[in-house]
Amino acid sequence: METQAKTLLRLQDVCCGYGGAEVVHKVSFSVAEGEKLCILGANGCGKTTLLRAICGLLAYTGSITAQGTEVRGTRRRALARKIALMSQGAAADFDYTVYDTVLMGRYAHSRGLLGDIDAAGRDAAADCLRRCGLWELRDRLVTRLSGGQLQRVFLARTFAQDPAVILLDEPTSHLDLKYQLELVDLLRDWAARPGRAVVGVLHDISLALRLADTLVLMKEGRVLDHLPAGRLQPTQLQAVYGVDVASYMRQALGYFSP
Amino acid sequence: MGRLQRPGPGTRRGRFGRGPGLRALALAAAALAALMLAAGVGSVPVSPADIARVLAHRLLGTPLPADFSPILEGLVLNIRLPRAALAFGVGAAAAVGGTVMQSVLKNPLASPYGLGVSSGAGLAAALMIVSGLAGGALGSLALPAAALAGGLAAAGAAMALAGRLDRGLSNNTIILTGMVLSLFLNALMSTLSAANPEYSQRILLWQLGSFSGRGWDAAAIVWAVTAVCTAAFWAMGRALDVMTFGEEQALSMGLELRRTKAVLIVLVAALTGTAVAFAGVIGFVDLIAPHVVRRFFGARHRVVLPMAALLGGGFMALCDLAGRTLASPSEIPVGSITALIGAPFFIYVYFAGRKRG
Repeated sequence: METQAKTLLRLQDVCCGYGGAEVVHKVSFSVAEGEKLCILGANGCGKTTLLRAICGLLAYTGSITAQGTEVRGTRRRALARKIALMSQGAAADFDYTVYDTVLMGRYAHSRGLLGDIDAAGRDAAADCLRRCGLWELRDRLVTRLSGGQLQRVFLARTFAQDPAVILLDEPTSHLDLKYQLELVDLLRDWAARPGRAVVGVLHDISLALRLADTLVLMKEGRVLDHLPAGRLQPTQLQAVYGVDVASYMRQALGYFSP
Repeated sequence: MGRLQRPGPGTRRGRFGRGPGLRALALAAAALAALMLAAGVGSVPVSPADIARVLAHRLLGTPLPADFSPILEGLVLNIRLPRAALAFGVGAAAAVGGTVMQSVLKNPLASPYGLGVSSGAGLAAALMIVSGLAGGALGSLALPAAALAGGLAAAGAAMALAGRLDRGLSNNTIILTGMVLSLFLNALMSTLSAANPEYSQRILLWQLGSFSGRGWDAAAIVWAVTAVCTAAFWAMGRALDVMTFGEEQALSMGLELRRTKAVLIVLVAALTGTAVAFAGVIGFVDLIAPHVVRRFFGARHRVVLPMAALLGGGFMALCDLAGRTLASPSEIPVGSITALIGAPFFIYVYFAGRKRG
């Protein structure tokens, strides 16, 4: 049963930015099958910029390969079968049903001139609906859902896309704690299947630690450290965020201690 | 895992009953009724049965009754029907163009006229009128042809400019360049009109839009272009669906956004340019029809596009009917009618929808 974990995503000396201003400098790391990697860093350290480069939304120098294929120059449809992005910016402005929205996740797998989605694709979408607890809501309009429900719909759509790597760009930042935990648990379950990995940017450190088994610490566009989540030291967090995060958290918890 | 029964197309149970089938049929019937009404009502009323007889006579060769007035036949065939058909076609074109632009730009207030098409067509038409080329030796199609060319040129210029400013062709860039170019071209046209007061009345009338005095050739061209473009949009329906979730989402879902957007916009420009060339700039249908259709049929483009065509066509035919009968013998510009009915209706639909949310 023992198999060598495959590398799903590899970054080598990646630099990128906006309009000539380089935000990310020479970032290298790789993500193996089954890995859940979270990038920690203060605002403006280049986390989101890096994610945008990984999913082909932003030009970069260096190399980013997804399952061995260079992201730059890969057709969108092929890239979407390898990498999906779930971001906080997603909104639903048009009256689609939950089912139709999740089915759109199959766009990258659709065929022919008309973009038909076959029976297997519909089954996959229905399966994702069930897994995310949305089956009962499938005929509801996405414009009428609560923020937590809507985010679950987008998660189900991301699952339906069936990529190898899911990128998270602070998808939980405006949700109640209950929904945040729910989302993280659904992602952990998803990543447990073979050939999958998650790369996340989560604002909430405790949530990131709940999801991640690997951490990349970033500061000012560079990787400070790349370590297993269990080895994170308070001093490292202080170096990244510039405040004593650990004692802040202890203090916060102290409110509930007898 | 067993095969799953798909929960049917457009299921919106608990809100609108089962599927869009019945409602689609009702809308198609209403659109046909509007067309018949538009062809039938007037100083000489013609019954739907008589319209059908004339049509059958022309198309299938069935004989007309012996006492059937040839004047009535001529009235139906050469005046009423082509006019109603043109109004229907232009309404359908506007509604379909509006549907696509709203989705492409992810903006509920987007309009196909915003691409600069109408301003370019207007300026070209004004130039033709002022130079005396319109309606002269070049024939009745010269003015529409020039207007279409002007509209396409303006849209092309707007898109080229947008592409230069922003390689990603983002929505705000398209909206802004279209708007700025429209204002610029409109200013040119106003200047032209002011400098040639003897033509300003005609330029203004062209601007307001009308279906009067057009023959079958105009109706046939508009119908053909509308049919081809609508079919193309329908084929790209899934891409349009994906686009409504925003550019970043659409890209990461696998859509070649830039290329798709460019194709859609070129088609919308051709569609709108053709409609404007024959009927002038008639607003509001492009804005209203997609909203109304989405409220009753959901947002899926495979459903919305044909339904918007029916609604926009039927509505425009009725507006033209109102325009030519309410103040008969003088005509109220059809653009005024669409705005008079459309504005309050739009506010009602839009805000009623808000409240329910």
